Amino acid sequence: MRIVLVRRKKPLKYGGLIVALLSLLSGILVFTIFAWLIGANPYPVVETIATTFIFPGVVKDFIILTLLGYALLIAFKGALWNIGAEGQMHMAFLVSIYITLIVFFTTEKSLPFYISIGVILLSIVAAVAAGALWGGLAGVIKAYAGVDEVPVTLILNYIAYFIGDILVYGPFRGKYVYGYARTDLIPDPYKLSIPVQRQLSGNALIDTVTGYIVEFATYAVWIVALILVLIFTYWLLNKSNIGLRIKILGSNPDYLVSLGYDVRKTTVLTFVLSGAIAGLTAALYYHGSLYRLEYPLEYNTASYGYLAILVAWLSMLDVYLVPLSAYIVSAVILGSQRVSSLPSVREAFIRLQLGGAEMAFKLLMFGSILLAYTILRFIQDYELKVVS
Amino acid sequence: MIPQLDYIIDKILPAFVTFYLVSLGHSIFEKSGILNLAIDGVFFTGTGAALLGAILPTIYNIPISPPVMGVLVATLIAAILGLFMSSVLTFLPISHGAVGLSLQFFSYGVGIMLGYYVRLAYGTIYGVSFARDDVIYLSIVSLVIGVVLHLLIERTKIGAAIRAVGENPHSAAALGVRVMAIRIVAGMIGFALIGFGGALFILSWQRSWDVKLFTLGYGWLAFATALAAGRHPIVLIPVSLLFGGLVNSQTDIQSRLGIPADVAKLIPFLAALALMLIYSTTRLRRIFASPSSLGKPYYKEEKSI
Repeated sequence: MRIVLVRRKKPLKYGGLIVALLSLLSGILVFTIFAWLIGANPYPVVETIATTFIFPGVVKDFIILTLLGYALLIAFKGALWNIGAEGQMHMAFLVSIYITLIVFFTTEKSLPFYISIGVILLSIVAAVAAGALWGGLAGVIKAYAGVDEVPVTLILNYIAYFIGDILVYGPFRGKYVYGYARTDLIPDPYKLSIPVQRQLSGNALIDTVTGYIVEFATYAVWIVALILVLIFTYWLLNKSNIGLRIKILGSNPDYLVSLGYDVRKTTVLTFVLSGAIAGLTAALYYHGSLYRLEYPLEYNTASYGYLAILVAWLSMLDVYLVPLSAYIVSAVILGSQRVSSLPSVREAFIRLQLGGAEMAFKLLMFGSILLAYTILRFIQDYELKVVS
Repeated sequence: MIPQLDYIIDKILPAFVTFYLVSLGHSIFEKSGILNLAIDGVFFTGTGAALLGAILPTIYNIPISPPVMGVLVATLIAAILGLFMSSVLTFLPISHGAVGLSLQFFSYGVGIMLGYYVRLAYGTIYGVSFARDDVIYLSIVSLVIGVVLHLLIERTKIGAAIRAVGENPHSAAALGVRVMAIRIVAGMIGFALIGFGGALFILSWQRSWDVKLFTLGYGWLAFATALAAGRHPIVLIPVSLLFGGLVNSQTDIQSRLGIPADVAKLIPFLAALALMLIYSTTRLRRIFASPSSLGKPYYKEEKSI
């Protein structure tokens, strides 16, 4: 008796959805098992992760991850693995910081409307250009030198981190930071978030609903950008010639050659588009929530660039499913953060002297979701059979 | 002692041994046709496992010297990861890159879990590290391993099978090579060496460990080293010597040229990028060609059903 792998005649119905759900479950399972192993009660752990799906704090991560998910979706459609969203974002941060904190720095609490808008728009456009350039650089190296894009984008991430470190430690260091190695806060007129006040009613349901409303109102500008990016990505991939070329590049590059297109140019273009959206996201994130960079950069970011890989893969590269997948990912990640502040988990951490190792839990969960997804994907097209 | 010799023992050799072993393991693994994007994660797991292993002899009264035990545990755990990765990728027709990348993040987490407790409980690890002069013997051992692996790959049947599986697993299987077994052997040897390198990284070079070590990206530098040396165990020696020296002389470069620390941190990564570019755009690419099935999913059609 042995187990063999056989190709399915038809792809498994709802295969993608099943794979995505199974891998999510396996990630949460691994996470829970580890919590259980260190002696924490597993029920509140699962409960906390589950309730995070209706938790207003998810909104911020959700918007950022959806935007980045679209950035990576474009590259992944072309079978180009852009692991460099992190670096593209950091180059964009630096450009935005240069514009808002060096060139147009102001200590005024308010500026005429047109100046604020002008500076913000300039910063966004420059950030988009920076992201596109950093992405395009990886594309050029991939297309014209033939180096695999994964190590290239990863090494470019480190290069971007260290360039940022040099700048934040040196010329970009703020004047009002009391000796900390970080930049100044972004001037108030350039902030894109809308401060909203609210009073808690005490009723959990009402507070949750108002919480969501407040979060959406705070990040209203991001929502607008998100809708624009969604429409752009949909148009690009389904209605435009470029999108068609990207998709053919992903499935059959030889066909692209016989159609008379340049594979190299298409590769570079794909990376440029992907980097541009990552740059846009970086500018929005900086103006709306991050407000400053802190040295050393590689320890002080939320590593959205890597989480976005998860978003793009779990969406099964479907334009409509990216927001759903981003929501799930941000809920799971935020849930894992909330878990580490649960009393029983905290107690276990202190007892085992593991305080500060929450990072390991997050990485384990993140890794096992990705791993389960990449491995289980075979059930879409293949099946296991036992033959005697 | 001669000052130059001190410099070599303190600065060059520890970095060389680490880079050489990691890139050597990576090369053997990729010779069997599996794209290894998990290198940085496995390297980090190796550091965490070595730290855990190094304290075991003291706790359980095992009559093995602590750093040697660290190396053993690190190679064992890395070899298990290698077994997993090569068997899954040979059995299932799935993307090598995706699995490698996912395994990288997963093994970052494993590495933290292994090393964190020890780091907090023991603080300094000088007591369980290799002595200063041991690095000479370690270098000799690693060079011997390199030469033996070179002979294994070029002169033996197993080596021929590893190369055949990397070039074309279907033809190799038709000629009677057991693809699964060969890839598992190559995967376990390769990852064990990466784990060995990770162990020496903390037990002989850094002599300290931190959770945030995984943000250093040295595994990726070794990736670039292996690529630029064409995955050739002998050519790897000068290239990793160069690279190890470059990385570990950061502080000297920094003070001599009077540049900020972060600029010095940037140099190895720029060099890695440059190495990969030089390899890919010159004739080196043809001389040291990658295995032609590198990174291609392997699916053997079943004819008997």
